[in-house]
Amino acid sequence: MAALGARRLLRPGQRWFSETAPGAPSPPPSPLYPPVVASITAKSKAAKSRRLERFHQRVHAAATVEEKLRLYGKLQRPKYMVYPQTFALNADRWYRSFTKTVFVPGMPPRAAAAKPQVEAAGATLEAGRALEPGAAEAPGAAEAPGAAKSPEAAAGAAPCLNIDDLRSLACDALLQESFYQTKKRPFLYRDQDHTPGPFLTQLVSTLAAFLSGRNPLLAASSLDLKPEVNYYWHHGEEVVAHGHRKGRVDPVRFQIDDNPHLQIRVPKQLPEVVPLESDLGDVPVIHHKPSKLPLFKKQYENKVFIGSKVPDPCCYGHTQFHLLPDKLKRERFIRQRLEDQIEVVYRSNGIASLFAWTAAQAMYQGFWSEADVTRPFVSQAVVTDGKYFAFFCYQLNTLALTAQTIKNSPRKNICWGTDSKPLYDVVEDGNVKGFNDEVLLQLVHFLLNKPKEL
Amino acid sequence: FPGVRQAQWLTKTKLVEGLPPAVQGIMDNPAHGLQELEERAKHAVSHARLWDTAEVAPRREQYCPVLFENLIHICRLMSGKYPSLSKRMLARNCRIAATWERESILLQVRGLSGILMNSMTPIPPVASKEEILATKEHVLETFYPIAPTVDLQEVNVYKELDDTGKCFRDGYPYSHPHTLFLLESANVRTNRFRPEQLRAKMLMFAFGNALAKAKALHGNDPKVLEQPVVVQSIGTDGQLFQFMVFQLNTTDLVSNDGIKNLVWIDSDQNLYEKAQCVPEVKKGVVMKPAGISGFQPDTFKKFLALYLHGTV
Repeated sequence: MAALGARRLLRPGQRWFSETAPGAPSPPPSPLYPPVVASITAKSKAAKSRRLERFHQRVHAAATVEEKLRLYGKLQRPKYMVYPQTFALNADRWYRSFTKTVFVPGMPPRAAAAKPQVEAAGATLEAGRALEPGAAEAPGAAEAPGAAKSPEAAAGAAPCLNIDDLRSLACDALLQESFYQTKKRPFLYRDQDHTPGPFLTQLVSTLAAFLSGRNPLLAASSLDLKPEVNYYWHHGEEVVAHGHRKGRVDPVRFQIDDNPHLQIRVPKQLPEVVPLESDLGDVPVIHHKPSKLPLFKKQYENKVFIGSKVPDPCCYGHTQFHLLPDKLKRERFIRQRLEDQIEVVYRSNGIASLFAWTAAQAMYQGFWSEADVTRPFVSQAVVTDGKYFAFFCYQLNTLALTAQTIKNSPRKNICWGTDSKPLYDVVEDGNVKGFNDEVLLQLVHFLLNKPKEL
Repeated sequence: FPGVRQAQWLTKTKLVEGLPPAVQGIMDNPAHGLQELEERAKHAVSHARLWDTAEVAPRREQYCPVLFENLIHICRLMSGKYPSLSKRMLARNCRIAATWERESILLQVRGLSGILMNSMTPIPPVASKEEILATKEHVLETFYPIAPTVDLQEVNVYKELDDTGKCFRDGYPYSHPHTLFLLESANVRTNRFRPEQLRAKMLMFAFGNALAKAKALHGNDPKVLEQPVVVQSIGTDGQLFQFMVFQLNTTDLVSNDGIKNLVWIDSDQNLYEKAQCVPEVKKGVVMKPAGISGFQPDTFKKFLALYLHGTV
C-alpha cells in the first residue's frame, strides 16, 4: 500500500505544489550568469573581432554624419596614397581592382527622355528619322542645318538647341583664351595653366549658364573651382612587415586626394543607369602588393570630403572636369614609345576620381562599408588635356570593400568611359579649324543630365 | 587723405552718391525674380565662408574669390531667362594701360586689374543729356596747396600705351568692357586696401578702361563724346561691397572746365554681418550659433542689377 502511494506521488509530470494553473507555461528562468563572449582586452583573434564589432556599433550609433566620419577616420595608420593622375603603367587595371569597378567602354545607353536635341517635341517633320543620342546628331545637324531649323520654327513646341549657338560659344571661349587675350609667355612646364585651364573654366561656365534654362538641376547647382575631393577606404588584408606591430594582419588602407579643375554639385541625385545588382563584367584580380604599381605609403589625416562640408544642400555630384598636367601630355608618351598608355591615363583618372567622389557622397548620406548603399550613386566626369576630351560615367553600387564585407557582397561598381577625342584640330589666325561637333554634343548631353522627375 | 577726391580730380569726374536710376529700376523691378535668388545667395555666402574647405574656417584668400565665383555663377544662371546674357565673357588677369594729360601733367594707369567682364554690346549711357551739360558748372575741388599728383609714382614712360586693358586683338567680338571686379583678398589686413582706397582704385581703373575704349572707338583727339562710354565696377573684400558706375563723357582732360565725367558710387554695402564657423559656447550655453547672421539681400540685388544692366 505504501509503495503504491509513493509511486502515485512520484508519478512523472506531477507537481509537488500545484499553485500555478495547469497548462500555463512557467516563466523562463533568468540567466544566472552573463553571456559568455570573448574578452575585450585579450591578445586573441576573438578579442580582436569583438573590439572590431564594438567599433562598428559605435559608428552605427553615431548621431550625426560628421560624428560618423570622425569615428570612421579616427585611427591613423600608414596608408597608400592613390593618385588619380598618374604615369604608372596600366594603372587603370590596378585602380579597378582596388575599387571593385567594372569598366565598360562606350557610353551608357541613356533613355530617350534625356535627349533634347534637334527633334521637335511636338510634330516631328523628320518623323521617320530615329535620332539616337549624341553621335548621330552631329552628322544630322551638320548636313541639314536649314531643314533642322525650320522644324524648330514650325513646331513651336519646346525650343530646341541650336548647334551653331553652342559651337560659337565654345569657339569664342577657345579663341579668347588662346588668341585674343594677350598673355605673357607660359611659365616653364605650366602650359596647362596658361591656356587650356582658363579655356575649360570659360567653356563650362558659359555652357552651364546657357543650358540652365532647360535643365533646372543646373539652375540650382553650385560650381566649384579647383575643389578638393578626398576619400579613405580599406580593401584587402596584408601582414605588417616591420615595426612594433610586425606580424599582425591589417587591412590595406588607401586614400585618394584629388583636385579636379572644376566641379558641379547639385541638390538632387542623378538617376541610376542600371539597377543596383547588375553585373556587367569582371573586376581584375591582381596578385601583387599595391606597392608594386608603384604606390607609396604615408600616414596623415583620413579625410572624406566631396568639395564642401556636410550641411551644404548641394551634396550630390553632377559632373567633374579634370585637366591633365604637363607631366602627362601625349607627346611625352609618344616620345617614350608608350602610345597605349595614353588612354590608360584618362581611364585611371576617371575611375579613381569618380570613385572617390561618389563614395564620399555616399558617406555624406550616412552609408559606409558596414552599412552598404541602398541606392546607386551616379556621377560624371570629363578628363581633358585641353584638346582631347574623354567622358566617363560612374555608378557606385557598393561601398563594402573591406576584407570581411567583400565576401558577402556580390555587387560591383561600374564605370563607363570613352576614348579621348579631339575637340578641334588647330587654332590659327582667329579661326578654329576642324571643330568636332560630336565631342561638344557629348559634353552638352552630360550637362543636361537630370533626374526623371525634373 | 581721401583717395576718391584725388581720383576725381585726376579723372575730371563729378561724384553722385548712390546708384543711377537705371540700375535702381532693375533692382525694383519684380519681374526679374530677385526674391527667389535670396535663398541661393545665402547658400552662396555660406558655402564660401563656412563649407568650402575641409578645415574649420577658410582664410580670406580662399573665401573671397570663392564668394565672387558663387555670386557670378548665380548671376550667370539668369541667362536661362535672358538669352542675351550669354553674350558676355569673363577675362581674368587682364592688364590695363591708359594714358592721358591733365593740366600738362601726363598721367598713366597701368597694372593688373582683377577680373573684367566684357560684352558684345555697350551699356547705354546712364545720365541724360541735361545732366551731362550740368556738369559744366561743377567745379572740381582742388587740394591747394597739395599738388594733385601727390602719392603718385613718377616714372619715365617711353611708350604711351593705350589699349583696351589686356591688349585684346582686333576682331575680338566681346569688345565692350562691361564690369570690372576687384577682389581684396590678402589675408593680412595691412596688405588689403581700405574701402576708401579701394574705391579710388576702382575709379581709376574704370576710367582707364573707359578711356582706352573711347580712344579705340573715336580716335586719340580729345573731345566731348557723342556716345558716352559706361563702365561699371564692383570691389569687395569678401564682406563689404563697393558699387560704382562710371560714365566717360569727354576725353578732353587737359583743361579744368567743360563737361566732366560722372561717377555714381554706392559704398560700404555689407553682404552679411558675421559668419560664425564654430558656435560660440560660453559655459555650456550656445551664445552664437554657427552660420551666417545679418544677411542683407539688397547688396546681392545691387550686384545682380549691375550684372544685368545693359541687357534688360
